[in-house]
Amino acid sequence: MSNITEFDIKKPKVDLNYASDKKPVHSDPNPEAKPLPKVTIDGKTYDFKPGDTIMQVAERYKVHEEIPRYCYHPGMPIAGTCRMCTVEVEKAPKLMTSCSTPAADGMVVHTRSDKVMKSRTGVMEFLLTNHPLDCPVCDKAGECELQDYNYEYGPGTSNFKEEKRVFEHATTKKLSDKVTLNMNRCVHCERCVRFTDDVTKTNDLVMVNRGWHKELEATTEAGLTNEYQGCLTDFCPVGALTWNDFRFKKRSWFLNRKPSLCDGCSKGCNIEVHSDSEIVYRYVPIYNELVNGHWMCDAGRSSYTSYTNPLRVIAPLMKHNDALHSTSIQTLLTDLQVHLKNAASIQLVVGTDATREEAALLKEKVPTIIGKNIAVSYFNGTNGVQTSADDKKLDELLKMKDLTPNTKGVEEQGLSPLANGEVNADIAILFRNGRAGIPKMKADQKVVLWGIWSQDELKSFPSKNILGVIAGLATIEKEGSYKNADGIVQKFHPAITHKGGALSAHQVVGVWKTLN
Amino acid sequence: MMYNNEHFEPVITKFVNEPGCETIDFYLAKENGYKALEKALKMKPAEVVEEVKKSNLRGRGGAGFPTGMKWSFMPANPVDANGNPKPKYLVCNADEGEPGTFKDRLIFTKTPHKMIEGMIIGGHAIGSNKGFIYIRGEWFKESRLMQKAIDDAYAKGFLGKNILGSGFDFDLVVYMGAGAYICGEETALLNSLEGKRGEPRLKPPFPAQVGAYGMPSCVNNVETFAAVPYILHQGWEKYAKMGTERSGGTRLIGVSGHVNKPAVYELPMNLTINEIIEIAGGVKGGKLKGVIPGGASAPMLTAAECDVKTDYDSLAKAGTMAGSGGLIVMNDTVNIVEATYTLLKFYEHESCGQCSQCREGSHWLARMFHRILNGGGNQEDLDYIAKICGNMAGQTICAFADAVTGPALSSVRKFRSEFEELILKGGLKGIGKEESISHRAVGAHV
Repeated sequence: MSNITEFDIKKPKVDLNYASDKKPVHSDPNPEAKPLPKVTIDGKTYDFKPGDTIMQVAERYKVHEEIPRYCYHPGMPIAGTCRMCTVEVEKAPKLMTSCSTPAADGMVVHTRSDKVMKSRTGVMEFLLTNHPLDCPVCDKAGECELQDYNYEYGPGTSNFKEEKRVFEHATTKKLSDKVTLNMNRCVHCERCVRFTDDVTKTNDLVMVNRGWHKELEATTEAGLTNEYQGCLTDFCPVGALTWNDFRFKKRSWFLNRKPSLCDGCSKGCNIEVHSDSEIVYRYVPIYNELVNGHWMCDAGRSSYTSYTNPLRVIAPLMKHNDALHSTSIQTLLTDLQVHLKNAASIQLVVGTDATREEAALLKEKVPTIIGKNIAVSYFNGTNGVQTSADDKKLDELLKMKDLTPNTKGVEEQGLSPLANGEVNADIAILFRNGRAGIPKMKADQKVVLWGIWSQDELKSFPSKNILGVIAGLATIEKEGSYKNADGIVQKFHPAITHKGGALSAHQVVGVWKTLN
Repeated sequence: MMYNNEHFEPVITKFVNEPGCETIDFYLAKENGYKALEKALKMKPAEVVEEVKKSNLRGRGGAGFPTGMKWSFMPANPVDANGNPKPKYLVCNADEGEPGTFKDRLIFTKTPHKMIEGMIIGGHAIGSNKGFIYIRGEWFKESRLMQKAIDDAYAKGFLGKNILGSGFDFDLVVYMGAGAYICGEETALLNSLEGKRGEPRLKPPFPAQVGAYGMPSCVNNVETFAAVPYILHQGWEKYAKMGTERSGGTRLIGVSGHVNKPAVYELPMNLTINEIIEIAGGVKGGKLKGVIPGGASAPMLTAAECDVKTDYDSLAKAGTMAGSGGLIVMNDTVNIVEATYTLLKFYEHESCGQCSQCREGSHWLARMFHRILNGGGNQEDLDYIAKICGNMAGQTICAFADAVTGPALSSVRKFRSEFEELILKGGLKGIGKEESISHRAVGAHV
């Protein structure tokens, strides 16, 4: 990973077999040595690496929009049970599941022949027989694979005249505080079961009973306990598992979807910010093989609320008569400049949640503008973490100990960690974006607060000590880059537009310069 | 000789009517017990496999796959990723759950040592030192009898370390299933044996590569193993001659339903269904209406079609299958729709629920038949049954979906007039029969 320096986060590029344990039995030990074998899909011939499945080849070369699938998920072992992805392979007597069938040299595959389309229509009809078709009140509507595939492959009408299967006790069943199950909508793809078995390895979920009354249940009375429950609701193809925090908040088709980064820990999971009218409704992970795979943790998923916190300071605040009042950025900076020029010693503390660009800017420009020699150091503030060397993985998947996103990126600027986590100057300028901790202060030290602060955090200082608050932008509102725990630099762009009076660090510095 | 087959002699059931036939002493004294094992242990494993191959023994579980060929698929010296040798397992499929099939139970209760001997020979042939006998959950008595027989074999030194001084070790373990028809499918059986849900696995890899506990495994039926000692002891020619060109030996046929003498019969394969019904004492209480020739999953045959021979290939030609050898005879008092519904209820209850088509389709078919029986059917339903079956058959991981469509499709095709009568007259009530029981009462847990 060390040779990877920089890349933009992108929409998911699906590269498969991420965690599959069902690789073909005889895989070629040295595929590069020989000319690559070829497979013909829908009339065109493609190279592939031995061991690729038909679906992988089709996906890589974008043979069609997508081969439909329910049970298949690239991050999990292959089950091959939904039978939606079947394709016709010449010389094979039956249709083959493209998710599990390895491509072979000279194989001729048809992904949309009449036989295949008829089979898919059949599967759709079967799946819809017992599905409640309650799309108008279902939270998944609009991003539901059953809807999408039915639109493309479904029979349109059905001769099913029987009573539908109803799980009366599991129509709205809380599997945990975070996830709700509606078993009636389930299409039994069992992605969720395989996820808890093979990805989180917590074995939280299990299917009980058999056949048509097979039902999803939590293995213990505690319900779901893993830290990645949100992922269940992402990949559930229907509205069977829904995320309580998002349930009934917004119809999915109203959502703007923009990529960004989660700044909840030093992993830097790639996310999609779903917002409407610049109000964020949820984060969902997007695929990045090098960083987070397909997943993200629940803590990160829920972290969007800290930016919509009503207590967040979103306008410049200036001290006047020992109280803070909102003001313009020019007035605030003019006032601060007087204090700073007169101070005997000043220390600038950059939180490790600053972007690389912000850290460079602050280190370079702030001393020049103030016109003094200023000690610049960085502060992490996560319990037990001072430098990136203290960081470690908390589980086998994604969670990291360091709860700030850019410790490595700030260290890169040549800053040194704040000694003992204590400020030793008359005035401290504390720059942080809500993730880094607040350093220890002495009773009479004055502070200038910069970045993202909530009213609660302001209360941790004696009110006479705060000279002013320069409101800053959150990760999803600004542009920049973070260097994560693995040394991967990830750029991001604004996912929503900030509607308050907060300004980016570059804007603040720009104004500040003009005041001199 | 009898049955128009000069070569025929009972291979398995010769002594089953004699008292004490299940004991090891009887087996040793009267049936040349464990003589075949003695002979086999002096042969090389490959020679044993060759002998079985030449005997044309085909798997008696339902699919009729040649046993010798299955044994020869087992890797000779499997190693894991680190180069350490992997054990191989031999598994006996005693999950006899097919409605209408009850032949394996006869072997378990009357001549268990034949099967044990067959398994030890099989273990020697494929180079396995451990065998599992997977017994269906409902067979409490049979599993105790089998355990007793195994204990006796251990006591006499036919099982355990250094069998008969040959240096070959073989252990047998009895494992009880939890009661699921699908666990008779070999990969579902392996999952169940490992303590997982009894759901068939995706193939490849086949059990010969990745079987029980991830090790190369070979799964054979009870009757298949029980035939092995005879082949080794009497020689393959004798066994092969009894059968047809492509399938040697005898078959156990469990005849049930409307016959005067329902029982398990050991028969050569050149008999027609009509002849078998004759042997079983003829049709009881009326004229023959139809038969299910190979356990519930085999498509039905009408009375007119019963002049077909019961070997694998002739039955396949007739559009049905030899299956597990359960011949269900129905006389003209039977309502085919009702009989098929009974089978469909079974399949609806026993589908493992992995594959979409099978899970939803078996349920749909059963409910549709129920509706027709209760007077809610119409002509379109009959066409739709064919359509549903067409969407199910051959589309799933295992052959269960095909098994469901066997009775459903054949009943509509061959006895369509009975369906039409029910539809016109408003269900069973209309033809003066009692209304079918409520669908909800049928084994459903909801």
